[in-house]
Amino acid sequence: MLPYPLLLLYRNFKRFKSTFFINLIGLSTGLACALLIYLWISDERSFDRYHALDGRLYQVMENRRTAAGIETQGGTMPLLAEALRREMPEIELVATTTPVPFFPPFTLAAGGRQLTAVPKYADPAFFQLFSYPLLVGTPATVLQDKHAMVLSEALATKLFGSAQRSLGKAVKWQMAADSMQTSLVAGVFAGVPRNSSEQFDFVLPFASFKDRMQMSETIKWDDDGPFTTYLALKEGADPAQFQAKLAGLLKTKSAQAQAQGRTLFMRPFAAGYLHGTYENGVATGGRIVYVRLFALIAGLILVIASINFMNLFTAKASRRVKEVGIRKALGASRAALVGQYLTESVVMALLALVVAVGLVQLVLPQFSELTGKPLALRWEPQVVAAGLALALGTGLLAGSYPAFYLSGFQPAAVLKGKLPTKAGDVWTRQGLVVLQFTLSVLFIVAVVVVNAQLAFVQRQPLGYDKAHVLRFDTGGKAARQQTAFLAEVKKLAGVVQASTVLGGFLGGRHVEEMSWRGKRLPVGTMLVNYDLLETMGMHLVAGRSFAPQFRADSAAIIVNQSLVAGLGMPDPVGQQFDGRRIVGVVRDFHYESLHEKIKPLLLQLDPSINTVLVKLQPGAEQATIARLQQLYAAYNPGFTLDYTFLDADYQAQYVAERRVAVLARYFAGLAILISALGLLGLAAFTAERRRKEIGIRKTLGASELGIVWLLTGSLTWLVVVAIVLALPLSYLLMQRWLEGFAYRVAWQWWYFAAAGLGALLIAWLTVSVQAWRAARRNPVLSLRAE
Amino acid sequence: MNLMIKTDNLEKVYRTEEVQTKALNHVSLTVEQGEFVAIMGPSGCGKSTLLNLLGLLDEPDGGSLQLLGTETSRYSERQRAELRKRSLGFVFQSFNLIDELTVFENVELPLRYLGVGAAERRQRVEQVLEKMQLLHRRNHFPLQLSGGQQQRVAVARAVVNAPPLLLADEPTGNLDSASGHDVLGLLTELNEAGTTVLMVTHSEHDARYARRVIRLLDGQVVLENSRSQF
Repeated sequence: MLPYPLLLLYRNFKRFKSTFFINLIGLSTGLACALLIYLWISDERSFDRYHALDGRLYQVMENRRTAAGIETQGGTMPLLAEALRREMPEIELVATTTPVPFFPPFTLAAGGRQLTAVPKYADPAFFQLFSYPLLVGTPATVLQDKHAMVLSEALATKLFGSAQRSLGKAVKWQMAADSMQTSLVAGVFAGVPRNSSEQFDFVLPFASFKDRMQMSETIKWDDDGPFTTYLALKEGADPAQFQAKLAGLLKTKSAQAQAQGRTLFMRPFAAGYLHGTYENGVATGGRIVYVRLFALIAGLILVIASINFMNLFTAKASRRVKEVGIRKALGASRAALVGQYLTESVVMALLALVVAVGLVQLVLPQFSELTGKPLALRWEPQVVAAGLALALGTGLLAGSYPAFYLSGFQPAAVLKGKLPTKAGDVWTRQGLVVLQFTLSVLFIVAVVVVNAQLAFVQRQPLGYDKAHVLRFDTGGKAARQQTAFLAEVKKLAGVVQASTVLGGFLGGRHVEEMSWRGKRLPVGTMLVNYDLLETMGMHLVAGRSFAPQFRADSAAIIVNQSLVAGLGMPDPVGQQFDGRRIVGVVRDFHYESLHEKIKPLLLQLDPSINTVLVKLQPGAEQATIARLQQLYAAYNPGFTLDYTFLDADYQAQYVAERRVAVLARYFAGLAILISALGLLGLAAFTAERRRKEIGIRKTLGASELGIVWLLTGSLTWLVVVAIVLALPLSYLLMQRWLEGFAYRVAWQWWYFAAAGLGALLIAWLTVSVQAWRAARRNPVLSLRAE
Repeated sequence: MNLMIKTDNLEKVYRTEEVQTKALNHVSLTVEQGEFVAIMGPSGCGKSTLLNLLGLLDEPDGGSLQLLGTETSRYSERQRAELRKRSLGFVFQSFNLIDELTVFENVELPLRYLGVGAAERRQRVEQVLEKMQLLHRRNHFPLQLSGGQQQRVAVARAVVNAPPLLLADEPTGNLDSASGHDVLGLLTELNEAGTTVLMVTHSEHDARYARRVIRLLDGQVVLENSRSQF
C-alpha cells in the first residue's frame, strides 16, 4: 500500500497522464539544470578553501594612485614578509613567494632523468601557512636550508620512483637560461589539489632566489615587486584593526611611497579566486559574477518549470474543483487542503528529483568537459541536502499558487463542478505564461548577443596576425645559447620568421608611470627580441623596427600609437622618452583580450628572453614542427618541445565567454522547451474547455482555419506581450555584459527580431497542433458530450 | 426538545454585474433534534441555497443562523470547517464521490479530517459499509458502481462520523425508483436512530418519508406542515 499522498498522485497521474508527463519533464529538466549548476558553483566556491588556517589566511595587496585611478595589484615588494613579521605582533605566520606565472617551467635532472616542472619560491613558513600535507619532512623546517627543495609526490615519483626514496637526493635544476644549480630534496608534499588557484610541482626557498638575484638583505620600502605575500593572523587578532594598521604602514616608511599614494591592504586568501577584480581600488567581482549569473539562471529555469506546474494544475482545476467542494463539505479545512495540494506538488518535485539525478548522471561527462571541471555527483550529505532543498523549494513554489487558488473556493459554488471564473485567475494564468515567455526571449537574446560578441572577437582586426604562430619556452642549452638557437630556428624550412618576447605575446604587461615634458602616463613594457614585428605581422606607422646593425638599439624603444596619442607627441620618432630614444611607432595591437582597452605600451629590446614565437608557413606545419622538435632535441637531448599555437592562446582568453555561450545555448533551449511544453498543456485544456463552443461554431459554419485562429489568437497575444517586455529587459542585461568588453559588437535590430520571431514561431507550432486537433473534431460528438 | 437549527430572517443574494437575485428572502425556521424535515418547492425556489447555508457551505448575506445552539453566521472559514466535520453529514443528488478514491477511501475521508487513527478508521468504515451492504465493494472505484450503490456509499460517508445532523440534497434525483426507495429507507433508519435529517426534494413521494415539510417559493417559506396535515 502506497502512502496516501503518493496514492493520490498515482491516481491523478492515471487520470491526467499527459499533464503528469509535461510536469515531470519540466520539473526534472529544471531540477537537473539546477543540480548541475549547483555542482559547478560548489566546486567554484571550494577553491582555495581547504587550508586549515582558512579564515585567518590573507594575501597582502597594494593600491596605488595613478592618473587613471587607483590600481590594485597582488604583487608586493620583496622581503615584505620578514619586515611584517618583525613589526606586526598580530601575525602568526607570514611568507613571501613568487607567483606561479612568474617563471616558465624549470628544467630538472636527477637520476639520469630530465623533465620540466613548475616552480615556486617561498619563505620557510609556506608549508605552515598552507595545508599541503608533507609526506616527508616537517612543515616548519623543510624550507629552512637554502639548498633544500620540496617536491610534489608526483614529481618525486617521476624522478626517484617514490616519495621516501627521494629524501636527501640531489636534483639539478635550471631556471631558463640561468646556470645549472643543485638542491637536495628535504621534503615531499602530497600535491596541489585541483581546486587550488595556483598549480606548482616543487617549492624552493625564497632565500636562494634572493641570493641569486642579489637582492639587498634589508627591505626597501620604495621597491616595487611582483612577489606575493601571505600571512595568517593570530587567533583572536582583529582583522579590521590589523587592516587599518597595514594601511598606514607604507607612508610611515617611505616618503616616495606616500607621494605615489601606495597603500597596503589584505584580502582573505580564499576570496582571491572568486573576487579577483578591482576597479579604482574597490573589489568589483571576478569569477563570482558568473557564479551569481548561473545561480540566477538555475533559479529562473526552476521558476519556468514551476509555472508549468501552476498553470496546468489550475487549468485542470475545473476537473478537480468538485473534489475541493466535496472535501470541504466533509469538513476539510483550508489548511488541510493547502497541505494536501502542497504535498502533492512536493511529492511530484521529489519524483522529478529522482529523474533529474538520472539526467545529471547522463550529461555530467559532457557538462564536465564544457566547464573544464571533473564534476561528479557524490552522495555526500551536502549534495543530498542541496538536492532535497531544491526539490522541496520547487515543490512548494510550484504548489503554492494552485493550493491557495483551489482551496479558496466556497464549497457551495464548486460542488456542481462548475469553476467560478474570476477575472483575476485568468489574468494570473496568462501572466504566468507571459513571464515564462519573457524569460525565454531573454535567454534567446542572450544567446544571440553572446555569440555575436564571440564572432566579433574573432573578426576584430588585432593589429597582428595570430595565425600559424607557434609559442614555446626554451630551457637548458637552447636557453643558454639563445641567439644561436634562434638563428637556427629561422633557418629551418617552413619557418617564416622567429623572435622572442617575455612571458609570451598575450597578456597584461608590467605598468609604470612615466613622464614626458611634464605629462605623466602609465606605460606598459614589453621586452622583445629582434624581428618580433616581422614575426607577428605588426605594422609600423613611423620609424623602423629593431635591427642588429644598430648597436644603440639596446637603449632604443618602439612605442604604440596609444602612447603617442596619450602624450600628444607631435613627432615621436627620434624623441627621448624615459631616457630612451624612440625609433619606431607601431600600430596599436591587442596584446590583451578585447575586455581591455589598448593601453600605452613600449617595446624594449632584450635578446635574452626565452619565450619563442615562430611564424610557420601555412600548409606544412606538421613537418616544420617535427624539424623544430629535432633541433630542440639536438640542444637538449631527452627533451620534447612543449608548444602551443598563439591562436589557441588567443582563444583561451575567452574561455569563460565561450562557456557562457554554450551554456546559454543549452539553458535557452531548455527554457524554451519547458515553456513550450507548458503552452502545449495549456492549449490542450483551452481546447477541452471550449469544446462545446467549438462545436457550436462549427455547426454554425465556422471553418477549421477560423477555429485554429480562435484558439491560437489569444495565446499569440500573450507571447507578443512577453516579447515586448523581454526586449528592453534583455537589452539592459546584455548591454551590461557587453560593457565588460572594451571592444564590443554593435547592437543590431535583428537580434531582437530573431529572438521575438523565434519565440513566436515556437509558440505557434506548439499551440496550432492542439488547435488543429480541436478544430477537426466532429461537432456532433462535442455537442453530445455536453 | 433541543433546537437543531434556528434561522432568523436568513438572506442570500446572488449578484452579477447588472442583476441582483434574492435567492432567499427573510427565511425563518426551526428544526428540532430528531426531526426528519423535507424542504420542497419548484426549481429555483431557493431550496438548495437554503441547504447550502444550513450546511455552512455558503455564507448568508443577512439574518442569523444557529446550529446546535450556536450562532454561526459570523463564523470564520476555519470555524465553519470545524463544525462541518464534527456535526454535519451531506448527501448530494450527484453523489459527489471522489472518483480517484475507492469506496473505502471515500467513506474514510471525514474520519481522516477528524484525525481519527488508522485502526479505528478501518473499524468504523468497515462497520458502516457492512451496514450499507457495501463491504464487498470496498476496493471498487465509484465509476465501477451503479447509481444506487454510489448513493449508498455517499450515505455511508455522510454518517461514518455519526453527525447529529444529516443534510440531503435531492438524494434520489439521479436514481431509479427501487434505488431511491432504498436510500430513503436508509435515511429513515438513521432518523429513527436519532439523527436529525433535513432533505431537499421536489418529489412529493420522497417528501412523504419526512415528518414535516417546509415549502419554499421564490426564496420565501410559504407553508410548513407536519405529515398529519398532508
